[in-house]
Amino acid sequence: MNYGVLVAVLALQILASADGAYAADSSVANRAPSGAADTVYEVARLRLLQIRTLLVSTGRQTSLGSAFRVSADGLAITNYHVISQFALEPATYRLEYAAPDGQRGKLKLLGFDVANDVALVQVDGAGQPYFEFDRKALQDGTPKGERLYSMGNPLDIGFTIVEGTYNGRVARSYNERVHFSGAINPGMSGGPAVSSAGRVVGVNVAKRWGGELISFLVPARFAAELVEKRRTPVELSATAVRAELGRQLLAWQEHFYGVLAEEELPSRALGPYLAPDSPARWFTCWARTNEEQIPRPRATLYTTLCNTETSLFISNDLSTGEVRVSHSYAKSVDLNAVQFAAFVSSQFRPAWFGWNRKRHTRTQCHEAFVAAKPPATPPLRAVWCARAYRDFSDLYDVSLLAVTQDRPKEALVSRLTMHGVSYANAMRFGERFLQEIRVAAEP
Amino acid sequence: MQQSPEPFWVELLSRHGEVLERHRVERGDVRIGRAYDNDIIIDDPYVGARHLRVTRDANGVLVAEDLGSANGLFAGESMRSTARVELRGEGTIRIGATRLRIREASHAVPPERRFEPRGWGWPVVAALAIAIMALEVVSTWLGQTTEPKLADYASPVFMLCLALFVWTAVWSILSRIFAGRARFRRNLLVGLAGLLVLSVLFELTDYGAFALSRRELTAYRYVGLWLAIGLFAFLHLRMISLSHLRLKAGAVAAAALAVIAMQTLSNAKSHTVMDRQNFVQQLKPPSLRLVKAESEPTFFAAAADLKASLDRARTQQPDSEDTDFGDD
Repeated sequence: MNYGVLVAVLALQILASADGAYAADSSVANRAPSGAADTVYEVARLRLLQIRTLLVSTGRQTSLGSAFRVSADGLAITNYHVISQFALEPATYRLEYAAPDGQRGKLKLLGFDVANDVALVQVDGAGQPYFEFDRKALQDGTPKGERLYSMGNPLDIGFTIVEGTYNGRVARSYNERVHFSGAINPGMSGGPAVSSAGRVVGVNVAKRWGGELISFLVPARFAAELVEKRRTPVELSATAVRAELGRQLLAWQEHFYGVLAEEELPSRALGPYLAPDSPARWFTCWARTNEEQIPRPRATLYTTLCNTETSLFISNDLSTGEVRVSHSYAKSVDLNAVQFAAFVSSQFRPAWFGWNRKRHTRTQCHEAFVAAKPPATPPLRAVWCARAYRDFSDLYDVSLLAVTQDRPKEALVSRLTMHGVSYANAMRFGERFLQEIRVAAEP
Repeated sequence: MQQSPEPFWVELLSRHGEVLERHRVERGDVRIGRAYDNDIIIDDPYVGARHLRVTRDANGVLVAEDLGSANGLFAGESMRSTARVELRGEGTIRIGATRLRIREASHAVPPERRFEPRGWGWPVVAALAIAIMALEVVSTWLGQTTEPKLADYASPVFMLCLALFVWTAVWSILSRIFAGRARFRRNLLVGLAGLLVLSVLFELTDYGAFALSRRELTAYRYVGLWLAIGLFAFLHLRMISLSHLRLKAGAVAAAALAVIAMQTLSNAKSHTVMDRQNFVQQLKPPSLRLVKAESEPTFFAAAADLKASLDRARTQQPDSEDTDFGDD
């Protein structure tokens, strides 16, 4: 199932194989910076930080990222994913910063915004110069095409400045992200992207694998809000982090499904059936068929798959927030009813992400035949599967599967998969989804 | 005074009671041992040079007497040696590692066994075999969703034949060893019947799980399959001999339960690293549904009920969470 495009978060880690990225990276690093970049970097240099996550037991680094100072009293902004290991397991990991002048020290986690992948940390050493936020960017007024300079410490080879272009908000994305055309590399996560005046427009966060220079920034607004909210320097404990994560995820999905509830579910015709299609423009949809396969398939299959690309990074072994809607319409060419049922069985699977014993409870399912409601709703065989998140109360992964049972040699298999959803929202959207599986009126 | 003494027979038995040698004794007295001055010589290093004498007592009853051997004389399965045993025809005695049976020439034998009726002969075997192979072919055909290939049908049928042959051969060899008769056809018949039961059980649970909407039917099918295999193993054992039936039933049941326990443990182990899709994944034609369809609100009410159970699981440690022992 290779519909999706990989968006990788850019903390540099042991597991990230550096070889492939390295070649591309050095070509950028060797490019002579323009005059503007020269000045910007000179001004910015002392405001940049590298953030290392170290294993408490050995003192060796397990992950690297970047950060930048945003106040005279030592506040700095980075990505949530840069500090996530420490945030969730402070007994195993600790954080350390390194400044370009070689200075090192401890840092404290003050707050984070998991949906927008930013975190606020406190470093010691007051009185250092710091970045200011770009006022135009805070009001979403940066013109497309403006030069931006992204900074950070890619692959731990030294602080680097990368020139690129602001390309506006990413269309078809529920979570606000800025599309930056420039080379952001692993290790630059959490570094700033600044205007030629040296003011912060966004925070480096991710790039798309398989694309060229397609990178993403978190709009400066979210970093600024985090700084505003957390003026009192209180360090977060592990329990507080989990509680806060749970609270933010719950709030995030509440808003997400609230918006979804107001969208219409347009019907898409698939054979004699009508299937609920992607409700909002931030669903990315794909389709495929087996029609052209050789040997000729004995049943044709049309599949549409929509997903939201709203995956939220929680930890290296847990992402959440994505919704998938998919439908497969199958029609027998020369299979008999039993063979056709076996063929449809191969589509009758939930489409959700890997299970992790530490993070999820076991999946529990309810399956049943659901009666038809004439005239439009066909009889179904439906399966509701759910698993709970161990760390966050009232958050679940839910999958609803349904296959029509009104014809022996034609069927519609519909799948709805919701990651990180409250049970109430899952029920609400699930019921709506199931009711929208219909039989088209006879012509 | 004695009348002219009746002849009698001394029989050397194998461990399993088969007669290895027979010696007819005309006069009322015989000496048995390893030395060459005996009437019957036994090449058993545990037997004394002059070990045993069989004679008639004053009443004409045959008795065995130990002639002072080191290892002694034992009656039947007894573990205590004795100097003298009265021989009544049915029981056996043991000297050294050798079992003997002594019978009067007048010993009554059971009536002759009639030839078995031909009804359970090869035609039945052939019919059963054809039924099983047909079931296998039909089952493969019904699961065939891609281009049909001869190999898809030939190889499972061939494997089935091979497995059946090996199974039957093993039981026939055991039967030959312990009962003296291979009884290949009867063993084949039991094997075929077992295979038919397994195939039918397999298909029934497959269809039943969908028709009744009960995943347990396929998830715990392995229990039924192993119990059926145990039952047919018992029938094979019963055919070898009718003795110790309770012991055999117990041993087979214990073996079946041990295998079931092993599989349960291995299922539980695989579930610690993988979650399971715990619903009926194999769809069948809609017309095979047997249970009543739920209304949509009922379906979602049941879905809502899962929340409580999930929240309970959330409070448990990952290690102690209930495991489902079913088989995927």
